[in-house]
Amino acid sequence: MVVFIILLKSLVVGGLVGFAAGAGAARMFHSPTTQGLGAFRTMGEMNACEGDAASHFSFGLGFFFNAWASAVAAGAFTQDVTHRVIPNWAAATLLLKNKKLAASVHNPKRMAIMGMIIGMIVVAFLNTTAAAIPKSLQVTAVAVLVPAANTLITIIMPILFWLAAIDAGKRTGFWGTLFGGIAQLIMGNAVPGVVLGILIGKGVDDQGWTRITKIIMASAILLFILSGFFRGFDIQLIHSFKLSVSDWLNYLHRLVTVK
Amino acid sequence: MNDIELSEAQKAKSFWYADWAFPIIVGIMSAGVFTGTYMYIKYGVGAFNEVAIVALLKAGLNGGSFGAAAAFGASFLFARILEGSLVGILDLGGSILTGLGIGVPAILLSVGLTAPLKNFPLALLTGAILGLIVGGIIVLIRKYTINQSNSTFGADVMMGAGNASGRFLGPLLILSAATASIPIGIGATLGALLFYKWEKPITGGAILGAMILGAFFPV
Repeated sequence: MVVFIILLKSLVVGGLVGFAAGAGAARMFHSPTTQGLGAFRTMGEMNACEGDAASHFSFGLGFFFNAWASAVAAGAFTQDVTHRVIPNWAAATLLLKNKKLAASVHNPKRMAIMGMIIGMIVVAFLNTTAAAIPKSLQVTAVAVLVPAANTLITIIMPILFWLAAIDAGKRTGFWGTLFGGIAQLIMGNAVPGVVLGILIGKGVDDQGWTRITKIIMASAILLFILSGFFRGFDIQLIHSFKLSVSDWLNYLHRLVTVK
Repeated sequence: MNDIELSEAQKAKSFWYADWAFPIIVGIMSAGVFTGTYMYIKYGVGAFNEVAIVALLKAGLNGGSFGAAAAFGASFLFARILEGSLVGILDLGGSILTGLGIGVPAILLSVGLTAPLKNFPLALLTGAILGLIVGGIIVLIRKYTINQSNSTFGADVMMGAGNASGRFLGPLLILSAATASIPIGIGATLGALLFYKWEKPITGGAILGAMILGAFFPV
């Protein structure tokens, strides 16, 4: 019985993810002294619920429906399961017992254990119901989702990140545009480049060319060189300028063959 | 665990607050997320990511190139590791869900290492090890930089753009549904309207509406 195997595996996966999501979210409230795991938006949203169990629950519920639709349609949970559903439902359950934030939402141990339970239930539910849906229903969803998703990832996201970089200041705009263009050429998507541009631009804005910003810059350049090499961008570049590739470069590429 | 706030000294020793525990927590998370990707490949359900990003991996699984997924995931992982150690919050979405959950599997599959993604215990183990490494790197960077950093490195800018892009998916789905066929377009529009009235994200309504009408009038 495939659904039963999926259920068992989902319980394991959900328990692991829920445990870490709960502990990581609670640790965020103690950052920067304690390293947290989550997202700024998660922390902002959890603060916005102001320790009210009903707010936490209904906030999670809205995203749960979205995640369910996405899981049923395409098998993808959305990031909201770990960012919003598990942390907020764990918080809601803990707040029912104890209204003090320090003993509930901000307590990594309690959030981890409650997150584990919620994670097991949520992941098992999403996976078993999505697996039980007939395949014919998924055909439409995929036919609609894939083109929309492609537009989102190839056009909308790069443009939004790019405009955000330009609006954030002269430096982020400059580095975002430079790295964005290079990333589009080498990796086929500008987002990682623009993100690095924002990272470097904002870092230099805030603290100047320190050791940290120089290290980030050097790593970014190294990342571009390595991914350019492994994707054969150097060869294509030379070819498209109608030049011939020297033997040593061809030899180097044959040494490390990556599909 | 006592209910009162712990002092800084107590926090450094307690598993739940200590830096040394961070790699373990990341390891647990990654084990689950990586295995979620294994389940997606094996059963078609269970990937812990946005449809748009899972679609990148799907392109590779369907015989295309894993390049986009690999580059996208790996670069996000890289940027988030830097940012996470500097700001004190590791972004789960970029580092683990996209980096370790999509990027690393795409890299492994593209070089022919399929075993970690075909075997349940091996997937758990691979994920845990990858997470331990990422968590360990972050704790190491923190040791050297924590007292020097007074910058968020534009995390707020990226967060704003990230949230804004999510909002585009709803309308995009309706556009895409309307191109697929007239009944599916009508279904998506009505579904989105209904969810909007309920004050839910219209993305879910658009997908469900398209699916229901698509069941009666297949493309």
